[in-house]
Amino acid sequence: MDQPLAQSITDTNKIGEVIEARTDQFLAQCYRLHEAPPLGSLIKTREGSIEIYGIVARASTHALDPGRRIIARGEHEETDEAVFTANPQLARLLVSDFTAIVSGHKSDGTVRYYLPPRPARIHAFVHTCPADEAREFAASLDFIDLIAAAQRDFAVDEVVAACLRRLAAVQTDPQDFLVRAGKHLTVLMSEEFQRLNSILRKLK
Amino acid sequence: MPLDFSQTVAQIDSMASRLASARESRRQKLETAMAAMAGHSQNLPALRDRIAAAMAARTSTWLAAGLLESLDLHITPPSIPNEFTVIAADGSHIDVDRHYAAHCFLINIGLVRLTYGRHPEAILSSSPLLYFDDEDVVLMSPSGDEPPEPIQGPLLGTKRSVDECQALARAAAELTGDTTTVCLVDGSLILWGLTGAAYPKFVTDVLISGGLIKHFSQIQRLSARRPIGLASYISFPRNTEVVNALRLAICPFDNIDCDRNCPPRTKNKPCDTIGGLLDRDIFRHLLKPGERSAVFASLSSIVTDLYGPHQICFFYLNTGDEIARIEVPWWTASDKNVLSSTHAIILDQCRRGNGYPVALSEAHEQAVVTGRDREDFWRLIEESLAGKNISLETSLKSRSKRTRWL
Repeated sequence: MDQPLAQSITDTNKIGEVIEARTDQFLAQCYRLHEAPPLGSLIKTREGSIEIYGIVARASTHALDPGRRIIARGEHEETDEAVFTANPQLARLLVSDFTAIVSGHKSDGTVRYYLPPRPARIHAFVHTCPADEAREFAASLDFIDLIAAAQRDFAVDEVVAACLRRLAAVQTDPQDFLVRAGKHLTVLMSEEFQRLNSILRKLK
Repeated sequence: MPLDFSQTVAQIDSMASRLASARESRRQKLETAMAAMAGHSQNLPALRDRIAAAMAARTSTWLAAGLLESLDLHITPPSIPNEFTVIAADGSHIDVDRHYAAHCFLINIGLVRLTYGRHPEAILSSSPLLYFDDEDVVLMSPSGDEPPEPIQGPLLGTKRSVDECQALARAAAELTGDTTTVCLVDGSLILWGLTGAAYPKFVTDVLISGGLIKHFSQIQRLSARRPIGLASYISFPRNTEVVNALRLAICPFDNIDCDRNCPPRTKNKPCDTIGGLLDRDIFRHLLKPGERSAVFASLSSIVTDLYGPHQICFFYLNTGDEIARIEVPWWTASDKNVLSSTHAIILDQCRRGNGYPVALSEAHEQAVVTGRDREDFWRLIEESLAGKNISLETSLKSRSKRTRWL
């Protein structure tokens, strides 16, 4: 198995760690509270020598111990940051995590827009993707099919739209990208007119 | 079978009725007690000496508080320091299970360090320690003359209390800087479980002189260099030492000698006019929210005989939600600034913790061992021993409890 390259301790792209993994999605815990990657953003993790790409489909912040209920504490504080300053233990007892829909993988140097053979490993690091890697990923629009086909317990249409907006933003010609994406969606959702329309409206 | 609530409800109803009718009698006793308190506050040295003499001569049936200052003092809460740290420890344990052949026990200590001010910080941890070696699961007499005492049941709970103080001392020793710090535990600093003749003397020596006192001394040495106090927090205390001091105050006999003056079958003893009250009843009446009482000294023989320079003092605190008892060693009580900070910080902790010091509740969360944890623990032991081809006998009673069959 290829060992991952040793990462600098100040690797700002490293944002979390896989804590649950399935073939078609994975759940990662963020290292920093409230700093889950934005909805629709492209992230990656690994399974052995294979890099697995995911699109962030849901983020959540909650108590680390499911048996403990979060209570309001800020009645007499001026800001919400002050709630954390006044209760320093909160930062240790809350956790942010996010779920990503697997949208492709890279093996042997080539991006492939189908599911990887095996799910991500538990405790695999999760990284954000810099702009050039996102452009490389979006060179083909086939990733849209994987996201659009995800189980409907996500707000899938919101995820598709957010993903396309973010990928467009790193293109040299964002408008061109969105037009091509819109055409791809039209073919994909040719029998779901209302759904298609709803997504297209969110691309602006 | 589930509890038969139809039988229980009627009994609960009758208990509630009896409690309600006792309320009027308690109100009268409280009036008498408050009057006694106000009346005797003026003559502190005489009452203090009378109580001390009776306690030293062991002629009082009642464990009374040692008086250090006026009984009816109530101190307003000071302002809290801008920067301060609270270290709290709490523990839980998995007791020896005699239904298993593997003789071992586990103590889990939760430790929390919360820093407030310009650089707030929280460090939360738990440290489980498994005791299994033959010499670790017993207390040995230093001379070897007496049989070792197995650490289990109530004695394990007492050992755990000592370990909590050890964790506090270690954490305190790691502090840098010189911010005001309070070290907190839940429950009493007095190892009541060792009173009476429950255990041979060497047990008390090992746990107190060889254990608790060492940890207290470590924190005391730190207190010479920085403002650091040690305190324990007792919620809903059932103590009666101050009430008992008032009993001795209103006792009409010149010499306090309960057995002689009021032999055991005596009804309506003079001091019974305030009998049945708890200290918290009095201080709920006396203290406004945030105020603390005077500091009192514990005259319990286990403290006076064995705690040396760490004589235990206590005061009552109106947290706003309840009357809590705070116990502190003498060196915390006698440092005015540290005592004042301790008062303010514990109040502040209760405010942040919705009525109970937040550092203690977080230490408890770190320490807690659930029923499920216990089952997993014994299962892990079985698997580990099975992995080494050691079969673990269990009793048939234990097996029948684990599998509910019809």
